[in-house]
Amino acid sequence: MKTVVAYFRELASQTLGGWNRFWFTPTDPATLGLIRLLAGAMLLYTHLVWTLDLEAFFGPDGWLPKSIVGPLREDQFAWSYLWLIESRWLLWAAHLAALVVFAMLCLGLFSRAVSVAAYFITVAYANRAVGSLFGLDQINALLAMYLMIGPSGAAFSVDRWLARRRAHGALAPAAPSVSANIAIRLIQVHMCIVYLFAGLSKLQGPSWWDGTAMWIALGNLEYQSLDMTWLVNWPMVIAVLTHVTVFWEVSYAALVWPRLTRPIVIVLAVPLHLGIAFCLGMVTFGLVMLFGNLAFVSPSLVRAMFDRRSTRAAMSAAAETTAPARPPRGMRARPTGASVTSSVRGQRTP
Amino acid sequence: MVVWPVDNKSVIEPLVKPESAAATRAWIPGPRLRIVISVVLLLHITALWVGPFSVPPTSVLADGLWRFFAPYLQAAYLNHGYHFFAPEPGPSHLVRYELAMRDGVRREGTFPNLKENWPRLLYHRHFMLTEFLNSLPDEPRTLREGYARAYAQHLLKEHDARRVTLYLRRHYIPRPREVLEGMKLSNPALYEERLLGSFARTE
Repeated sequence: MKTVVAYFRELASQTLGGWNRFWFTPTDPATLGLIRLLAGAMLLYTHLVWTLDLEAFFGPDGWLPKSIVGPLREDQFAWSYLWLIESRWLLWAAHLAALVVFAMLCLGLFSRAVSVAAYFITVAYANRAVGSLFGLDQINALLAMYLMIGPSGAAFSVDRWLARRRAHGALAPAAPSVSANIAIRLIQVHMCIVYLFAGLSKLQGPSWWDGTAMWIALGNLEYQSLDMTWLVNWPMVIAVLTHVTVFWEVSYAALVWPRLTRPIVIVLAVPLHLGIAFCLGMVTFGLVMLFGNLAFVSPSLVRAMFDRRSTRAAMSAAAETTAPARPPRGMRARPTGASVTSSVRGQRTP
Repeated sequence: MVVWPVDNKSVIEPLVKPESAAATRAWIPGPRLRIVISVVLLLHITALWVGPFSVPPTSVLADGLWRFFAPYLQAAYLNHGYHFFAPEPGPSHLVRYELAMRDGVRREGTFPNLKENWPRLLYHRHFMLTEFLNSLPDEPRTLREGYARAYAQHLLKEHDARRVTLYLRRHYIPRPREVLEGMKLSNPALYEERLLGSFARTE
C-alpha cells in the first residue's frame, strides 16, 4: 500500500513540477520575435492579395454576399466587424487600416498593441470570407493568436531598434520572459494537435494505406504548380512519400519533444512543406506551416543565425557573470530523468 | 557551421551564461497566478483538441464537448478539423459558366482560372469557392442553391450579362496505369459535369 501511495505522490509532484517548468520557465523571446517577423509578413501578404479582389470577396455584390453567408453563420459565434460594413469606401478604409496593422506587426512597431489588433483582424476576415478559406488562414490565425500573448516585439523589431537607439547602443539582450515561453509553448502544442489530427484523419483513407495518395495529390491538375507526374514511373517512391507523410504527421506530437529526435522531425518538415509549396501550388500554406515549426527552434540558435550583435554582446558579457537563473517560487528542481515532454527552453543554468 | 543546440544545454556555450544572467531579471508569476493561468491553458488546450475531435463521425462524448466549447472555438476561429488531404486527396471541382450577354452573344468561362486569377493565392481563393460549393451537403438544398445563386449573381454583375448557367465540374485524377499509357491530366474523359442551375440577373 505504501508503495502505491508513494507512486501517486511522486506522480503528482513530478507532473506538477513538469507542468511548472514547461509553462513558467522564462525564455529568450528571440524565437517568438522571428516568428512575428515571418508570420507578420505572411499576414500582410495574405491580406494584400485580398486587395486585388476586395469587393468581390467582401462587398455586397461579391461571391459571398451577407444574405447567403449570414444564415450559415447565424447560430454561430463567428463574429466579424466586416458584417457591419455596407459602404465600399468604408470597406476600403477598413482594409487599408488592416494592411497598416499587419505591416507594423511584421516590422515590430508598437508590437504589443498591434499584435492584438492583428489577431482580431485576422479572425474578422476569416469569419467573413467563409467559403474561400483553406489551411493558410487557419495557421495564420493560430500564429496571430499566440503572438499577442508574448513579447513578440522584443527581438527582430523596430521597437527593439528604437530602444537600442534610445540607449545609445548599450541595450542589454532582451530579458527572458514567461509570457514568451507560454506563447512558444502554445504554438508548439497547437502544432502537435494540427499534425496529429492531420495524420489520424488520413488513416481513414485507403489511398494512404495502399501508397497511392501522393500520386492522387501530384496528379491533381488544379493544384499542380510543378509537373511531378514523371514519378508515375517510380511507384516505390510514391509509396515511400505517402507512408512517410502519414508516419511523420502521426508521430510528430511524440517525436518532436525528445531532444535527440527533434532535429530529425523538424528537418523532415522542410521537404514536406516545401513539396506542398512548390509542387501543389500552395507556397503560402507550405511556408506558414514551416513558420509554425520554428517554435521548436531554440532561441540560442535563432540568435546565432540572425542576431550577430546580441551573440557578440552575450559572449562579452559571459566573462562578467555567472549568476544562476531564479527558479519560479514553488518550482521544484528538475528531477533526474525528467520527462521528455517537460524540456526546458531558455532557462540556462551554469 | 551551425550546430543544433539541445534544450537547456546549448552547445553554443558562450550564449549560455549571459542568458542565465538575463534570466535573473525575468518576472515569474506567483503560485496563485500560475494556478489561474494553468486553468486557462488547460481549458484552451482541451478546446483545441475538441475542434478536430468533433469532426464527424463523432461519439456522444465528442458531441457533448463540442457543444460546450463551440462558442469559444467559433469566436476565436479555432473550429478546424485539420484534415489536410484527408481522408484522401480527391478529384478537384470547378465551376463552368455560360453567359448570355445583353446583346445576345454567348460567352463561356471557368473558375478558378490560372490565367485570370493571379497571384497563386488569389487563384486558390477562387478554387476554394468551388470546392466549398461541392462540399455543401445535398440537404437542405437551399444551402447549395443559395451559394450557386450568389456566384451566379456575381458573375452576371461582373460581366454585365443577362443570364448565366452554372455547371459544377468534377475533374478526376487518372490512374497511374492510364498515365503510363499516355493519358494527359487534362483529358476530357476525366471531367464530369452537373448542372447547378440557370439564373437571371436580379437588380
